[in-house]
Amino acid sequence: MAHRVARTLGTIMAVACVAAAAAGAADLRTVTKELFAVPSTTGNEHEMAAKIRGFLPKSLGIEEDGLGTVAVRLGGPAGPVLVLAALDGYGHMVSGITPDGYLTVDRPVAPPHARFDAYLLGQPVVISTAKGPVRGVVSQPALHLLTQERRKTLVDGFSLETAFIDIGVRSDKEARAKGVELIDPVTYPAVLTELAGDQWAGPSLGLKAVAAVLVDIAAGSGSGAAGGETVVAWAAQTKFAARGRGARPALGAARAKARWQPQRAVIIDLVAAGKSDGPVAGGGPVLIQAKDEPSPLRQGFMRLAADLKIPVQSLTAPDSPLALPFAAAPSEVLTVALPVRFLNTPSEIVDLKDLQALRDLLAAFLTKGAGR
Amino acid sequence: MNKRIAIFAMALAVSVSSAGAQSKAWDILREIVLVPGVSGHEGPAADYIQKMLPAGLKVERDAMHNVWFTIGSGRPHILFVAHSDELGWTVDKVTPEGRVRVEQGGGILPQTVEARPVLVYTAKGVVPGIVAPRPGYDARPAQGETPEALFTAESFDIYLGVGTEAEARALGVAEGDSVTAKKIVTDFAPGLMATRAVDDRAGCAALLDAALRLKPGAVKGKTVTFAWDVQEETGLFGAAELAKTLKPDYVFAIDTFVSTDSPLESKRLAFLPVGKGAVLRAVDSSNVTPKTEIRRVLAIAEKHKIPVQVGNSRGGNDGSVFLTGGAVDIPLSWPGSYAHSLIEKIDRRDLEALTDLILAIVTEWK
Repeated sequence: MAHRVARTLGTIMAVACVAAAAAGAADLRTVTKELFAVPSTTGNEHEMAAKIRGFLPKSLGIEEDGLGTVAVRLGGPAGPVLVLAALDGYGHMVSGITPDGYLTVDRPVAPPHARFDAYLLGQPVVISTAKGPVRGVVSQPALHLLTQERRKTLVDGFSLETAFIDIGVRSDKEARAKGVELIDPVTYPAVLTELAGDQWAGPSLGLKAVAAVLVDIAAGSGSGAAGGETVVAWAAQTKFAARGRGARPALGAARAKARWQPQRAVIIDLVAAGKSDGPVAGGGPVLIQAKDEPSPLRQGFMRLAADLKIPVQSLTAPDSPLALPFAAAPSEVLTVALPVRFLNTPSEIVDLKDLQALRDLLAAFLTKGAGR
Repeated sequence: MNKRIAIFAMALAVSVSSAGAQSKAWDILREIVLVPGVSGHEGPAADYIQKMLPAGLKVERDAMHNVWFTIGSGRPHILFVAHSDELGWTVDKVTPEGRVRVEQGGGILPQTVEARPVLVYTAKGVVPGIVAPRPGYDARPAQGETPEALFTAESFDIYLGVGTEAEARALGVAEGDSVTAKKIVTDFAPGLMATRAVDDRAGCAALLDAALRLKPGAVKGKTVTFAWDVQEETGLFGAAELAKTLKPDYVFAIDTFVSTDSPLESKRLAFLPVGKGAVLRAVDSSNVTPKTEIRRVLAIAEKHKIPVQVGNSRGGNDGSVFLTGGAVDIPLSWPGSYAHSLIEKIDRRDLEALTDLILAIVTEWK
């Protein structure tokens, strides 16, 4: 009886906190836009981490780890559980400066697909330096001067071997004077395109949108009680694989597992939308598990979605590197993914209805609990 | 005050009051480069040009949107011409799924627009879209698989955020609408930038600036025409239309010099560095300028202390259309890296040198 009363009170308090904070806090769209403007690639998550910390109430004790992961502990009936999203996205970095001031390019991690580097050709980029952003462009040959042979080598065969960033200087000394250093991140300018149907497009938009959902929820919640709390974490270096035998989990997720030892984990991830037989954009968040078997977490989320009339989609797929560390029994893991059209291209498209549905579903999970 | 009006007012005041007027070409360029005007759809660019021209000039405009004015009288008749059209595409059809397909061509490497935003200019306004990445873009290529087909403009499958043809049409999208890449201006430093459509909006800006700074007494004993023509990128059609009525002795086509000032290209030709001055295109794909005329231009530049580089490159120019009518074509430029791309690069000093050179030629040419 006492337990039930405590849970009810906890739920009421959590709901009240969410409602109060939601009324005063920046709305989800604003948070998404603000995070969208901040670069965050593997190993260079500090700006995004700082931005997220800035959104969180001072009353929440913010935990960090040595790689840049940010986490908070929340109250409510959902816990104990870890809710984890990535803090880092795919991108490039400065690997060298030529004597005539051009920057060469590398990646901190393997690309998500084979065409990823090719998107750089002839594009504006931003180099995030200690002195601030430096604007540049990735050189491309002028069409007028290309023979068919040169076109094959320079354009059709474009790779990081022929990627040179022009930052408008004539020497390595001038480049360094602008603040450029090796391993500075290279990203596309954060230019948002607002499409019809309440859809947004932009580079690394999925990552930022999901991070914004967790910010929105965490900012609207109360701090957690020891033992039963929900840990909400934005994990750094998730595109980097942890070394060791067997499967290659995301480093940031493996560290989260070691740190918080959760028995239950909800991974907030991205999933490609619009492919044949796959999830669709606009269809709501996607619940992903490796086995098509009933599980308490999944059934709990399905119930919440049904009660609140939130559309959800289901997918059976191998555990992603983010989910992998939590997959071994007796732990339980569920991935709740935002469907993203043109995932891992310079124009990831997010349907804001899906984003809001993801936010509402997670908020309901935190305030009502699920799968217990 | 509206920025455009401010630029015009300042320029007009300066042109009336002093000889050494301050160039506003850079500010004009930064505005006009963002005005849409795909070949055959130059109306907005022509509107901008007309609005910027000083009052009192007898400005003419034809049905194609060629814009020009003539001052002075007598021989020689010299014509300066820049083209107001830009590279882009036109809507070919709207699919049942609400996607937009474009006609082939465009002049820009199609793969640089893959998975990038574009803007469709419709009767109801501007509709943004995303060129879908090629199907299977994220699939791992199988060993021994046939190389994938080239990504061309015909491959474009533009997603507007809608799912049916009716929804796309409700946005205003129709066959024949023009499409451009969404332009992003990269400011490397004050006075050095890169963006789409510097070719040939920089030429347009230089001519506008020259028109605004023109001193009434500069044109004596000659006829001078300034023209902003259309459809250069698709075949010099606007110039051909102008050539039916204008019979100049000399044509100074103002257009990009395709420079190899980049890390990827052979320096065997066209290596004129960005930032080192205006350019005289001695030889390109459409014209060979007589050496006597090159020396005349260089002498004028020297007299006025204007930095000018001379080079040969590729690409054609509008002045070549007037050759058969008896004119001499002397193309003037700025050194432009990454021509016909989303990142055409230009230095303010080169643009201002070009404007100064135009004004010096107006004054000195005989």
